[in-house]
Amino acid sequence: MALKGLDIFKLTPKKNCKECGSPTCMAFSMKVAQGAVSIDKCPYMSQDALDTLSEATAPLMKTIEVGAGDNAHKLGGETVLFRHEKTLVSKNLYAGALCSCMDDAEVDAKIAELKKIDYDRIGEREFVEFLFVHYADNGADKYVELVKKAAAADRALILDCADAEVAKAALAVCKDGKPILNGANKDNLDAMNAVATEAGVVLGVTGADISEIYDNVKALEGKGNKKLVIDVTGANAKETFANAVLVRRTNLKDGDRTFGYPSIVNIAKIAGGDAHMETALAAAFTLKYGSILVMDKIGYAEALALYGLRQNIYTDPQKPMKVEPGIYALNGADENSPCSLTVDFALTYFLVSGEYERSKCPVNLLISDASGMSVLTAWAAGKFSAGTIKKFFDEHKIEEKIKSRTLIIPGKVAVMKGEIEAKLPGWNVVVGPMEAVQLVKFIKDFQG
Amino acid sequence: MAKFITIGERIHCISPVIRKAMAERDPEPILKRAKEQLDAGATYLDVNIGPAENDGEDLMKWAVKLLQENFDNVPLALDTANMKAIEAGISVYNRSKGKPIVNSADAGDRIGYIDLAAANDAIVIALCSANGIAADNDERMMHCQNMLEHGMMLGMESDDLWFDPLFLVIKGMQDKQMEFLEAIKMFSDMGLNSTGGLSNNSNGMPKHIRPIMDSAMVAMCMMQGLTSAIVNPCDLRLMETIKSCDIIKNNNLYADSYLEI
Amino acid sequence: MAFTPKKQAFNAKINAVTLGTGEKSIVIGGENVLPFYTFDAEMPNKPAIAVEIRDTGLEGETAPGLLAFYEGCTSVVDMAKKAETMEGASAICLHFESADPNGANKPVEECVELAKAVADAVSMPIIVMGCKNVEKDAQLFNAVSDALQGKNILVLSSREENYKTVGASAGLAYNQKVGAESAVDINLAKQLNVLLSQLGVPAASVCMNLGSSAAGYGYEYLSSTLDRVKAAALAQNDAMLQMPIVTPISTETWTTKEAMLSEAEAPDWGSQEERGIEMEITTASACLVGGSNVVIMKHPASIATIAKFIDSLM
Repeated sequence: MALKGLDIFKLTPKKNCKECGSPTCMAFSMKVAQGAVSIDKCPYMSQDALDTLSEATAPLMKTIEVGAGDNAHKLGGETVLFRHEKTLVSKNLYAGALCSCMDDAEVDAKIAELKKIDYDRIGEREFVEFLFVHYADNGADKYVELVKKAAAADRALILDCADAEVAKAALAVCKDGKPILNGANKDNLDAMNAVATEAGVVLGVTGADISEIYDNVKALEGKGNKKLVIDVTGANAKETFANAVLVRRTNLKDGDRTFGYPSIVNIAKIAGGDAHMETALAAAFTLKYGSILVMDKIGYAEALALYGLRQNIYTDPQKPMKVEPGIYALNGADENSPCSLTVDFALTYFLVSGEYERSKCPVNLLISDASGMSVLTAWAAGKFSAGTIKKFFDEHKIEEKIKSRTLIIPGKVAVMKGEIEAKLPGWNVVVGPMEAVQLVKFIKDFQG
Repeated sequence: MAKFITIGERIHCISPVIRKAMAERDPEPILKRAKEQLDAGATYLDVNIGPAENDGEDLMKWAVKLLQENFDNVPLALDTANMKAIEAGISVYNRSKGKPIVNSADAGDRIGYIDLAAANDAIVIALCSANGIAADNDERMMHCQNMLEHGMMLGMESDDLWFDPLFLVIKGMQDKQMEFLEAIKMFSDMGLNSTGGLSNNSNGMPKHIRPIMDSAMVAMCMMQGLTSAIVNPCDLRLMETIKSCDIIKNNNLYADSYLEI
Repeated sequence: MAFTPKKQAFNAKINAVTLGTGEKSIVIGGENVLPFYTFDAEMPNKPAIAVEIRDTGLEGETAPGLLAFYEGCTSVVDMAKKAETMEGASAICLHFESADPNGANKPVEECVELAKAVADAVSMPIIVMGCKNVEKDAQLFNAVSDALQGKNILVLSSREENYKTVGASAGLAYNQKVGAESAVDINLAKQLNVLLSQLGVPAASVCMNLGSSAAGYGYEYLSSTLDRVKAAALAQNDAMLQMPIVTPISTETWTTKEAMLSEAEAPDWGSQEERGIEMEITTASACLVGGSNVVIMKHPASIATIAKFIDSLM
């Protein structure tokens, strides 16, 4: 992103001293913007201004890598505030909260509960990516023991610890896993920076309010540390929401790189111990700029809803979500159950399978490869035709695997009935309803 | 991007009806013209009271209050050679629908209009000329830079200087039109706002030709990045062209009835 | 130099629309900022929650918390009265599901009778939700709007196919509020508002229903539609998209697999009711942050949470 002449002009001293050879600062700026003159012709440019210019071509928001091995994750790197503008790059991740105030049994139970969440949703592994290990000022030994336990849980770690000495001891037992050290603030900035830098880990920085956060980030950058995340958690939900939005907006809309880092939102801290409230806030911060969401409780009820939302929001608007082509046996369907055919567009799959599941009628749902397009779009593009269906039947050996010869096709492509019958001799092709919502009634009537 | 801004030009003391109404402080003819223009889709209304050397301050205040009170604080461009009259107008101006526009400054004798706008937190139309029309784009851009610099030194936002490259009459300066369009592109590339008296391009052409030429001109200008123009909003073809260009430029969301709103 | 964030309040705002009458009436919309961006400017009216009550009462409801809340209710009218006491509720949404000609096909007269009985029993604003059959809804909204004159109800919704009838009856003849529904299509949403305004329905009498989907079920389309509508309304000052937004939540979330599968069918997933509640909370929260001014929900636990959530961000 090149700077415009006007942006450069704002950085000049506006003295019109002519020492650069141009009659005015404005004229000089225009020449610099066009590449006709080098910026260092101006003897009065401040270091800040020069830094701004040299960074002008770098992305506004940094991509920060944390964790190691299977637990390596990328955060940030966003270029837009809204998904329709382009696409969102790094989905928000979840962290389950642990505390050195918990006893061993509690910790074990909590880790076991969090690890239960591990499933697949449309080709994406859904699990709690981080453990957020909070230090409750109750002694380094206890904390280090807790960190050891957490490090053995096969998840990336966030050490939430504002005591540099304790953090150092904890990092000694887990730094190979590339955890985040969260807790730099105005008072411990130098010490925390030294500890994080020495261990080679990303540092989480916060402040009493947004301008203090800004100053702290600037101070750390001034010390050469640009491996940062910003803990935007404020005193309450309102302040936290404001921080999360302002940090991201100042960065991406106003072009200020100081705020160009991913965020941590400690929802557990602002939800007042209310699990439902945690869910409400997590949904809000999924849309509004949380990079890592720290939760007290993540059970299946929370995960199913929140990970579904996340998967929707972080889809690439240019690329449809697809499910794997194949046979999906619903409601205990076997080889004698009727087949129902549709496309691999994820939304279609969800709607159709959801309706069939509601009907409780056994059905073999056949998902054919249609490049992730909806039924009519795929049909119009030739991706869902008698030919492609025949190919799908052959590749997936449908006729060997299923004895039923009843095939329900979507009502929207009723025109294909004849062609399909010609390509698939022996099959009884039945035209289904136009919309998924009519499937329950249809299949119940159909099966009598 | 924001929608194209139209500044209605029909409250102008060059019209005998308006001149008389202004002299007699007769609201009716002025309100009638204002309503016609707003109904036709004008964003701003230009209020040209002429040189108004004697009673300019009083007249401008009267006109500003009259129009804003009757038309929900419609935003106005204050147009006169009497700077005190502009300041007087701004003193009674309600900003809820947009800042006042000072019409206009240039890079020569009228540079002080920029100071006036800066002192009153107003927008200023900045004609890219000093004494007579600029000879080429080098000269236009030099004037542009001088005025931009002048305004920014005074603390103005660059958005509040609307640069006018000065539309050139086609019957007479046909060979200069493409260069003129290039100037608009240069403003646009610098992120600057622009405007101008559109109909000057078709000056002297037959009456039935002018809407056609004005429409073609505005479309080409909008392609180059023109952000506003001073126009006759009662020209239906022109307004339809502007609305259509705003759709193509994604400045306004399409709906089948876009021409009707 | 201390950091001061740039403000981004707009010179345009969402229309403020009043629903209901008297002390319990509510005003929705009126803000000139993105949802909950109170650091740019205050939101004059907080988003509201309407409680969905189906005309079939508790038929088919299985969530224990919901059933417990309505315990002792023997009619829809009882339920509506009870719903008014629900923590966080500020409107009642009467959903005439069984009016559907492809379902129970309940006659319009019966629906009107029920609507009148409910309106007589409650003092909160009433939203009347149809059965999605455009012809039947047009008849239903016409008759209910007539019968409930003076109650300032919102009918949900007129669509492209029936906006003339619904706009003319509910919007013009009976002076009620009209919901304009478009299936997650921003150009159609705008067009429908234009058509209603050309019909003479004042902008202040129109709310938008931009469609609805549950989290995980194509929610990205709704999310981006909400974002784009707010951008057009506020940044482009598009008067034809400045209507407040009403979004049905419960009708979508409680029919998903997550909420429907029993504990026997999905043993790993734990409490079925909790799954339904979290789906409803997640979807409602996302819609509110996207720009819905009213969400329609049904479970008392979800409603209490979302009310608390709204308060915590105001």
